[in-house]
Amino acid sequence: MNKPLLSIENLCVNYITSGRPIKAVNNVSFEIQEGEIFGLVGESGSGKSTVIQAVLRTLPPPAVITDGKVVINDKDILSISDTEVLKYRWKEISIVMQSALNALNPVLTISEQIEDVLREHSSLQGQAIQDRTEELLSLIDIDISRLDSYPHQLSGGMRQRVVIAIALALMPPLIIMDEPTTALDVIVEREIIAKIIELRKNLGFTILFITHDLNLLLEFADRVAVMKNGKLVEMDSAQNIRGGGKHDYTQKLIGSLPSASGPRERGMLSKPENLSLGSQPILEIQNLSKSFIDSGIFNSTSIDVVKNVSFQIYPGEIIGLVGESGSGKSTIAKLIARLIRPTSGNILLNGNNKKVSEAQKVPLEYRKQVQLVFQDPFGSLNSVHTVFHHLARPLVRHRLVTKQNLFQTIIENLETVGLKPGEAFARKFPHEMSGGERQRVAIARALSLNPDLIIADEPTSMLDVSIRMEILEIFARMRIEKNLTIIFITHDLASARYIADRIFVLHNGSIVEENSAEQLIQSPKEEYTKQLIKAASPGWLESLSLDNGDMKNA
Amino acid sequence: MNQLHDSIFVRWVTGIIQNRKAKTGVVIIFIFLFLALLGPLMTQDSTAFLSTPLSPPSSEHLLGTNGQGQDVLAQTIIGSRQTLLVGFATGILVVFIGALIGGISGYYGGKIDDFLSLLINVFLVMPGLPLMVILASWLPPGPATLTGVLVLTGWAWNARVIRSQMMTFRSRDFVSAAIVSGERNIRIIIVEIMPRMLSLLASSFIGASIYAIGAQVGLEFLGLGDVSTVTWGTNLYWASNDMALLTGSWWTFVPTGLSIAIVSFALTLINFGIDEVTNPRLIAERVWRANIPTKKIVNGVTPVVKSHE
Amino acid sequence: MAAWAALTLNFFIPRLMPGDPAAIIFARFRGKLKPEAIQALRETFGLTNEPLLGQYWSYLKSMLIGDLGISIAYFPEPVTNIISSALLWTIFLAGVSLIISFSIGTLLGTFIAWNRGGKLDSILPPVLAFIGAFPYFWLAMVALYIFGFELSWFPLGHAYGENVTPGFNISFILSALHHAALPALTMILVSLGGWMLSMRNIMITTLGTDYISFAHAKGLPSLQIMLRYAARNAILPNFTGFGMALGFVLSGALLTEIIFSYPGQGYLLLQAVRAQDFPLMQGLFMTITFAVLAANWLVDIAILIFDPRTRK
Repeated sequence: MNKPLLSIENLCVNYITSGRPIKAVNNVSFEIQEGEIFGLVGESGSGKSTVIQAVLRTLPPPAVITDGKVVINDKDILSISDTEVLKYRWKEISIVMQSALNALNPVLTISEQIEDVLREHSSLQGQAIQDRTEELLSLIDIDISRLDSYPHQLSGGMRQRVVIAIALALMPPLIIMDEPTTALDVIVEREIIAKIIELRKNLGFTILFITHDLNLLLEFADRVAVMKNGKLVEMDSAQNIRGGGKHDYTQKLIGSLPSASGPRERGMLSKPENLSLGSQPILEIQNLSKSFIDSGIFNSTSIDVVKNVSFQIYPGEIIGLVGESGSGKSTIAKLIARLIRPTSGNILLNGNNKKVSEAQKVPLEYRKQVQLVFQDPFGSLNSVHTVFHHLARPLVRHRLVTKQNLFQTIIENLETVGLKPGEAFARKFPHEMSGGERQRVAIARALSLNPDLIIADEPTSMLDVSIRMEILEIFARMRIEKNLTIIFITHDLASARYIADRIFVLHNGSIVEENSAEQLIQSPKEEYTKQLIKAASPGWLESLSLDNGDMKNA
Repeated sequence: MNQLHDSIFVRWVTGIIQNRKAKTGVVIIFIFLFLALLGPLMTQDSTAFLSTPLSPPSSEHLLGTNGQGQDVLAQTIIGSRQTLLVGFATGILVVFIGALIGGISGYYGGKIDDFLSLLINVFLVMPGLPLMVILASWLPPGPATLTGVLVLTGWAWNARVIRSQMMTFRSRDFVSAAIVSGERNIRIIIVEIMPRMLSLLASSFIGASIYAIGAQVGLEFLGLGDVSTVTWGTNLYWASNDMALLTGSWWTFVPTGLSIAIVSFALTLINFGIDEVTNPRLIAERVWRANIPTKKIVNGVTPVVKSHE
Repeated sequence: MAAWAALTLNFFIPRLMPGDPAAIIFARFRGKLKPEAIQALRETFGLTNEPLLGQYWSYLKSMLIGDLGISIAYFPEPVTNIISSALLWTIFLAGVSLIISFSIGTLLGTFIAWNRGGKLDSILPPVLAFIGAFPYFWLAMVALYIFGFELSWFPLGHAYGENVTPGFNISFILSALHHAALPALTMILVSLGGWMLSMRNIMITTLGTDYISFAHAKGLPSLQIMLRYAARNAILPNFTGFGMALGFVLSGALLTEIIFSYPGQGYLLLQAVRAQDFPLMQGLFMTITFAVLAANWLVDIAILIFDPRTRK
C-alpha cells in the first residue's frame, strides 16, 4: 500500500463545560489513500463532523483537541503553528460545508468570494484570477453571467455548486464533503452527487464524504467508516458493508430505510387486506388554491403556492402527499388544519358543506376532528411547559375527561405511543428528551383528541434514520386500531410507498399524478414522477452517469 | 404536577441569581431600595434649614449642606424615593403597554397590525425629549405628570421590539400546535408565548427604568418638575441654581450624581446578566477560555491541548 | 403617513391641553405684547373663530408651504429664520458627534467581539456603561467645571468667540471648533458605549454563522474575515439605530446645548418653552419630526445600497 494521503491517529476532542468535559471524539484513527472516496457515516451526535473540523482545526469553542495526530504531507496539523494552519487550509484540504446554503457571505457576489481564495492562496493576479474564476464556474455548469450574482439570487442547488467551485479553486489533493446535499431536494441532490463524481473522474482528487445516509454513501464510496457516540465502530470496504457489515449498528442503519424499488415487503406497515374503507369521503378538497403576496420595496407580486388542488379521502385511508420543497405540500397541510385561509376553494369534512374560505372562526368541533403533527418535534413543543401540560391542555379544552381521570388518561396516552413509564415522561420538559421521544409526545397530543383525520407533515424527516421506522409504525398501528385517516406528507417517495395506500405527487402547487402506491411506483406515467422514483432507487448513480455518457456520445 | 425543578423558569432565575454581574446589580438595587424605604427613620429632616448654607462635609453633616442650608446626605436619601418610584413605575407601565400593544399587533397581524404599527411608528418618530419638555411645561408638576410624560414618550420603542418578537413566535410550530388543539388566542398569548418572552420583558423593564430615571432627572434639572419636592433631579436643579459649581461646592452635586450613576449602572449590570443567561454560548466560551493554558488563542484555529505535555 | 399623523398630533396637542391655552397666553402677554404680535399669534394658531376643521385645513396648508408663522419672543422675526440658523449649529455639533461616536463605537464593538473574552472586552463595556450611567448633563457640567472653569482649556459656552466674525475665515472656523470640542467630547463619551455594545452583540451572532466558519476554513486572514465577512454583515442592523439617532440629532442635543449655552435647536426650544412662544415650539417640533422621517428614509436607501438582499 502507498503512503496514505491523510492519516488520523488516536484523535480525541473534548467539549469543555463547567462540569466534566464531554468526549465528542474518542480515539479515532483512519487513513485515506490517494484517489479514493472515503465515507464517514453516523447519526446526529456521533462526532463525524467534529472529526473533520478537527482535521481543519476549525472547531469553534468550546472544543479542544486533546490528543492525536493528523498527518498530511508528512506534517502533523495538530503540532504546527497557528499561521501555518491558515496556510495549509484550502491548499491541501478544502471543504464543502454541511449547511452550504448558508456558507456564502450574503453581501458579497459569488465571484468576489471565489476570488478571495485565489488572491489569498495562489500567485495568480489580475486577469488570471478572473479567468480562473470563470473556468471554475464553467466546471460546475454555472453560466458566467452569474458571476456578479449575490447568493440569495441563486437556487439552493446553484449555491451548492458555487461552494464546490470554491472548494476546487486551488485543486487541493483532498476535498472534504460534509453532508453536502442534506438541505437539497432529492433530484437536485442526485444531480450534485453525479457532478461531484464526474469532476473527480476528470480532475482526480480524493474525497472524504461525511453523511448520515449510509444508503447514499454505498452508491459511490470505496471505503466506509461508521461512527457512533464519538467512536469508530466499523471500517470496511463499501462492498463488505453493503453485504450487511459486521457490527449490529451498521446493520441497523442499512435496514432502517424503505426502498422505492423492488417488490414491496409485507408487514404491519402495508395496507391490511381486510381493511374496508368507508364509502363516503371523510375529507373532500375542492379546487383549493392559495397565493401569498410577496411585497418588495418597489412592487408586490402574488405567488401561487397551491393551485387548484382537488382530492377525496375515505375513512381509514392513508394518503401519501409527496413533493419537494416549494411544491406546496406544507401549505396544503396548513390549509386543511385551517391555520391559514385558502384564497379560493373549499374543504369539506364529513360532507359538512360550509365554505371554509368565508368562515371567520374555526369551530371547536373541527379542532377536535382534525389534528396536525409537525416536522420539527422541538419546535412544536413549548420549551417552558412539561409533557403533562402539552397533553392536558387539549383534553381540558375539549372537556374530554374529568379532573380525576386526567392524569391517568395522559399516562395511557403516553404509553400508547411507546413512552413508558408514562409517569416519568409526563414530568419531563422537551429539552430532557431525545428527538424521537419528543415526536412521540407530539403524536400522543394529536391522538389524545381521538381525531378523525391526522395530517402528518414530514414527521420523520428531522429524526435519526434508525428511529424513523418506529415512528412510521405508530401511525400504521393507529390506523388499524382506531380506523384513523392519515394524510402523510413527505419528500421521500420510498417512505410514502411504505405507509400509504394512495400517493399524490405534488409539483409546483398542483397534483401531477395520483394512483395507488404500488401502481404509481411500478408504472409511473408522468416524467416528474419517473425522475423522483429513479432518484429514490438504488443504482441511480450509474443510470445518471450513463445518461450523461449517452449525451456526450450523441 | 407542578414540579419545577428543571423548568426553564427556574433555570433562568437561578442562572441570573448565580450570575456574578446580575448578582452585584441586584444587591446594589436592594441597598438603595432599603435606604429609600427606611431612610426617613435614619436621617435628619431633609427640608429643614440646619446649618450655614454650602458648608463642607463635617461630622455633623456628613456630606455638608446645600445652598438652602439643608443636609445633603438626608436630601440624597430622601430624594431617591420619588426618583426610584417614578423610575420603576414608568418601567412597569412601559413594558405593560408595550407588551399589550406590541403583543396584540404582532400576534393578530392583518388590519389590527396595520393600525397599531402606524400608532407605534407615529410615537417613534415623535421627538421624545422636546415633547417631554413641552408637555412637562404645560402640565401641573408632580410625580404623576412625570410618569405620564415618560410613559407617553417611551412606550413605542418597547412595543416595537415586543411586536417583532411576537411575530416570530406567532409563526412558530408550538403556537400553530396550540391553535390546532383548539386553544383560545388570549390563552396562547399569555400561557404559551409570554413565558418565552421573559428575558425580553425583564430586560425591557430594566431598560425602560434606566431611561425613566435619566429622563426624569433631566426634566427636573431643567426646572420642569415640582421644584419644591426633594428628588435627585431637584437636588441637582438647586445645586446648579445655587451656583454650586462656580463656588466649588462639589458635595452638593456629587452624591446625587453618583447615586444616579450607581443605580443605573446596577440596572445595566442586571441586564448584562440577563443577556449572558439568555446566551449560554457566551458563558460556555468563558469556561472554555479559562480551561486553555496561557497559549494565545487565535480566532478560527482550534487549540490543541495534550494532557501529557 | 407618519408625517401626516405627526402633523395632526402637533395640531391637536395645544388644543387638548387643560384649560384654554390661547386664553392663558393672551392673559399672560396682554400689555407686554404689541397688538400686531397678538394678531400674529392668533393667526399662527388659527385661533380665529373658524370651526376646528377649518383651522386644521389652514394649519396643514401653511405647514406644507413651510410657513411656520412668526415668533412671539423674537417678534417680528419669522420662525423659519430663527430655526434655520439654530439648525446649522445643531447639525454641526450633534451631527458630527454622532458620526464620530457611531464610527468609533462600531469599530470598538467589532474589535472586542472578535477578541471576546480578551482584556479589552472585559474592561471596555463596564467602564463605558458606568460612564453612560451618569446623567448626561451632570457629566457635562463637571467637564465644563474642570476643563472650562478650572483649567480654562475650553471656552465656557457659545458657538464661537466674540472677537471673530462669522464667515468663511480661519479664525472663525478654529474658534467654532474650539467651542464645539468639549460639548462634542462629552456627547461622544456617553453615547460610545451604546454603539459599541450593540455592534458587539450583533457581531457575536454573526460570528456564529456558517459563512464565517466557511471563511475560516478557507484559510483567509483574520483581518479579512473580521471586516469583510463579519463586520460588513453585522453593521446592517445597526443602520436602523443610527438612522433613529440621526433623526433625533436635532432634539437629542437639548441638554448639551443648554449647559454649554450653544445656540442650537435644543437651546432654542427651552427658550421657546420658557417664553411660551407657541409658534416657535410648533416650528421646532415640526423640523425635528421631519428630520426623523428624512433620516429614516436615508437609512432605507443606505440599506438598499449595502444589503443586496433588499434589492431584487
